[in-house]
Amino acid sequence: MKHLSDQELMKLVQAGDFSPAAEIFDRYSTRIYNFAYRFLKSSEAAEDATQEVFVKMLKHAKQFHGDAKLSTWLFSIAANLCRDHLRKADNKAKESDETLVMLPSGDDSPERRLEIRENELRVQKALEQLTPEQREAILLSRYQGLSYAEIAQIAGCSEGAVKTRVFRAMETLKKALSGRAKGEAECLNAM
Amino acid sequence: MSECDVVRERMPQLLVEAVEPMLREVSHQHVESCEGCGREWESMRAAWLALADIPELPVPAAVRERFLAEAARLSGEEKVVAFPVRRHWRWIAQAAAVVVLVGGGWFGGQQSAHRRPATIEPPIVALSENVTIDAARVNPSFLGRPAVQNVRFTPVGTDRVELSFDVTSHVTVAGRPDDAAVISLLSHVVENNQAATLARSSAIDWIEDIYRQRGSASPELIKAVANVLATDAQEGVRLRAVDALTRLSGLAPEVQLALVDALKNDPNPGVRMKAIEALANLVKSGTGLDPAAIDTLRDKAVQDDENLYVRVKAAETLSQIDL
Repeated sequence: MKHLSDQELMKLVQAGDFSPAAEIFDRYSTRIYNFAYRFLKSSEAAEDATQEVFVKMLKHAKQFHGDAKLSTWLFSIAANLCRDHLRKADNKAKESDETLVMLPSGDDSPERRLEIRENELRVQKALEQLTPEQREAILLSRYQGLSYAEIAQIAGCSEGAVKTRVFRAMETLKKALSGRAKGEAECLNAM
Repeated sequence: MSECDVVRERMPQLLVEAVEPMLREVSHQHVESCEGCGREWESMRAAWLALADIPELPVPAAVRERFLAEAARLSGEEKVVAFPVRRHWRWIAQAAAVVVLVGGGWFGGQQSAHRRPATIEPPIVALSENVTIDAARVNPSFLGRPAVQNVRFTPVGTDRVELSFDVTSHVTVAGRPDDAAVISLLSHVVENNQAATLARSSAIDWIEDIYRQRGSASPELIKAVANVLATDAQEGVRLRAVDALTRLSGLAPEVQLALVDALKNDPNPGVRMKAIEALANLVKSGTGLDPAAIDTLRDKAVQDDENLYVRVKAAETLSQIDL
């Protein structure tokens, strides 16, 4: 299965053969999971969303057109699921899941581990200041490397709208992330 | 929108090098020469790099197990074989289905014939008009808390008042891109200098996105975009307009005048370069250029005080023309 392209794997699935399911999951689940986690701020919700994305991939395989990229289609499904999750009233005020931080390897010093954790929390808090549309756009652009055309397809808006969302997201993130850098500079000056 | 605004809005794309080479060069030239934009660029880069400070999380193994279990269950459902129907029973079942469908349709038609209303054409709606409405016909709940302005209060006699105001209501016009009303509305938004810059820019982006996929845009829309290129005070809007004209096919000959005018007179080098690109696209599509356009390209190619990239692009375009 590893030697088959995405299109070839999906042709098998469309014909009713679900044996490529594991290979497709292994290829894309990490990206989908990380997108869902950063968007929904909850590991539990991200796990459910990730599983649901690939189940829908199997159930609705015939909707996938061979000339499109499988990643774009999977992210479309993921983005729709994440938006639906946020729309549900009881999920709106959910606090971010701060306990799920990938622990650095044992070779790192305690200071380095602390720095990594602080950086992650800082970035996560900055991302929380974005609107859902801006967060979706920046997650797909910055972390998944998708083009604005692909993001527009996923978000169901124009490329111009994607450009505006990414720009506004970066304006917010710049302010949120520069606070610490300023503090560091002041500490250095004081020393 | 100033040139600084245009360049700053483009910065996220510059970070991932998703900008055409010439626009990228022009943008970086501006960043190097403008102190404010230089600072903005550095802080944007720093934020972009800082975003990478979060590690990629592994997918919990349980998620994979649950998914594969569900996939196996779904696969089992796919393999279920339909109960074989004996041939003669199938024939009888099909005949019975036809009787039910035909009989049911006739019966339902009889029942609804008396209730079937005459076909009524929906009224044509005017989007903008002065209206006087009797208070008894107005819904007092004011859903959405509309914004009201220019309010006037006029007593009429002893027991009537007239409250006049302009109200902002949110209207959605739904239709196909080639519907006359959609085209007229888009043209109006694009050319309406009273509308916010963002609304005009967004409308031009929509026009480019929608009509590029369809292959061409109506002459009315292309003329509206060309008019924006010629007259809009905001550089960012003019840049979007010339960008759209570069990508839309089916450009009418009179649009060449707008492109040539932009090439000669627009103060923004990015707009001038895009104008040359649009003219180059015309050449590639087999549409001839007017003598005025060719003369302008020649002048630009040798103009000492012109931006170097504009001069090079003009020379390249001239080399593609069979003179």
